[in-house]
Amino acid sequence: MIFLRRQLPLVITFVMGVVFAAQYYVPHPRSELMLTEVTKWLQIIGIFALVLGVTSLFHIHAVKIRRKEPGWGYSLVLYAGIFGTIAAGFSYSSTASQWVNGKETINGIMTAFGWIYLNMMVPLQGSMFALLAFFIASAAYRSFRARSREAALLLIAAVIVMMGRVPLGEMLLPASGDVTQWILNVLNASVRRAILIGISLGAVALSLKIIFGIERAYLGGGKE
Amino acid sequence: MNFAERMLHIDRRIIFLVIGVCTLLPLLYPVGLAIKVSPEVRGVHDYIEALPEGSVFLLSMDYDPASKPELYPQAVALLRQAFRKNLRVIGMTLWLPGTGLADQVMTQVAREMGKVSGKDYVFLGWSPGSGSLIINMGQDLYKAFPTDYYGQPTRELAVLKGTQTLRDVNYVVSLAAGTSGIETWYVYGKDKYKFELGGGCTGVIAPGLYPLLRSGQINGLIGGLRGAAEYEVLIGQKERAVAGMDAQSATHFAIIVLVILCNVFYLLIRTSRKQGEAR
Repeated sequence: MIFLRRQLPLVITFVMGVVFAAQYYVPHPRSELMLTEVTKWLQIIGIFALVLGVTSLFHIHAVKIRRKEPGWGYSLVLYAGIFGTIAAGFSYSSTASQWVNGKETINGIMTAFGWIYLNMMVPLQGSMFALLAFFIASAAYRSFRARSREAALLLIAAVIVMMGRVPLGEMLLPASGDVTQWILNVLNASVRRAILIGISLGAVALSLKIIFGIERAYLGGGKE
Repeated sequence: MNFAERMLHIDRRIIFLVIGVCTLLPLLYPVGLAIKVSPEVRGVHDYIEALPEGSVFLLSMDYDPASKPELYPQAVALLRQAFRKNLRVIGMTLWLPGTGLADQVMTQVAREMGKVSGKDYVFLGWSPGSGSLIINMGQDLYKAFPTDYYGQPTRELAVLKGTQTLRDVNYVVSLAAGTSGIETWYVYGKDKYKFELGGGCTGVIAPGLYPLLRSGQINGLIGGLRGAAEYEVLIGQKERAVAGMDAQSATHFAIIVLVILCNVFYLLIRTSRKQGEAR
């Protein structure tokens, strides 16, 4: 049992990790064919992850409803939303005379699933994102203070970029556009590049640790 | 509590009202300020403009409804230019929640430009995997998408004739609201399959993509609503994005004024406290 839970996954990780790290540098047709097949497997595993995620979501909210925990009414709304959308997606469209099959429109005719998507999901998601603008303005007013020299420098840069990214700012202060471009292309790009390199090196180190079995958190369970 | 302290603790609903008015009024009474086009947006536009008729252009609309206000105008402008140039357009998305929006924009612009599905454009829809999907498309497009979004076998479509893999695509633009997006297309796509790549994104993630732009990994970047407005100016069809720039101008200035006021009050409080301690 230990072999199936520990050794076998480690062996598979090592073999697949080394083989596909090497595959990148081998342009032979058989190598390319192997890559094509394995990426198909990845897509299939991705679908299983979707099933796992949805099942987990159902379970969490079922527990909330059963125990009548605070906010369990929202869990009922979640269930209604999920099942209602699934039912609409699998329903039969009498106007289009065919099964909906998860399509928003069939031959230009909107389905019930499409109606839910365009009239509920799109406005709701858009509204949630739009609310951020108000909270950002409020947070900026309360916390964007020049408490130190560095904070003052950040503040000045932020004001210049905010002016330079809108037509009114460029009209009132023509230099703000060019300074904004310089800040984004020189200062911002160089710092972001440094962060990206750091993250990438960290990812390489972590990947090597996983491939060689040093990092085993993905196996789950306690220590051996 | 003196005036400055009261102003620093002002009810946030007043700030919400100010922002709401600054957003609404310019939309109702547009001013139409001039928009200067940046080199990064021009990069995408000029590359598409230089593509010969019949070239294959892939537009990956990797966003969900939350990012519609910024990326939908970008998609409309890009598709209009591509259809005007008589390019063979392939539409798809790496984000499942965005499939409906992507389908809607392609159908709407294609109908407007008199283009026919299967002959002038194809919408492939969504398939799971992100990076592995891109690799699959790079190996064999027809295996990655055996049918298009409407169930038509992709091998039989005239628009995909001669396009076996991503190596046969002349230009890919990813309109991204996050991960999976432009970086995914570069790491799993352009680096291996050597097609040209451009990007469009929300304003929030645009600064993070400048390293890719500066190094030439992407040849252009359309950033946020401002980028969409610049693109509309370039194609000569000023619509939603240009209309939104007046509101964005007013809102930015409202936030600048609020930040300046906040710092003035903060300095007044600090000065009065120092004077109080000195006494």
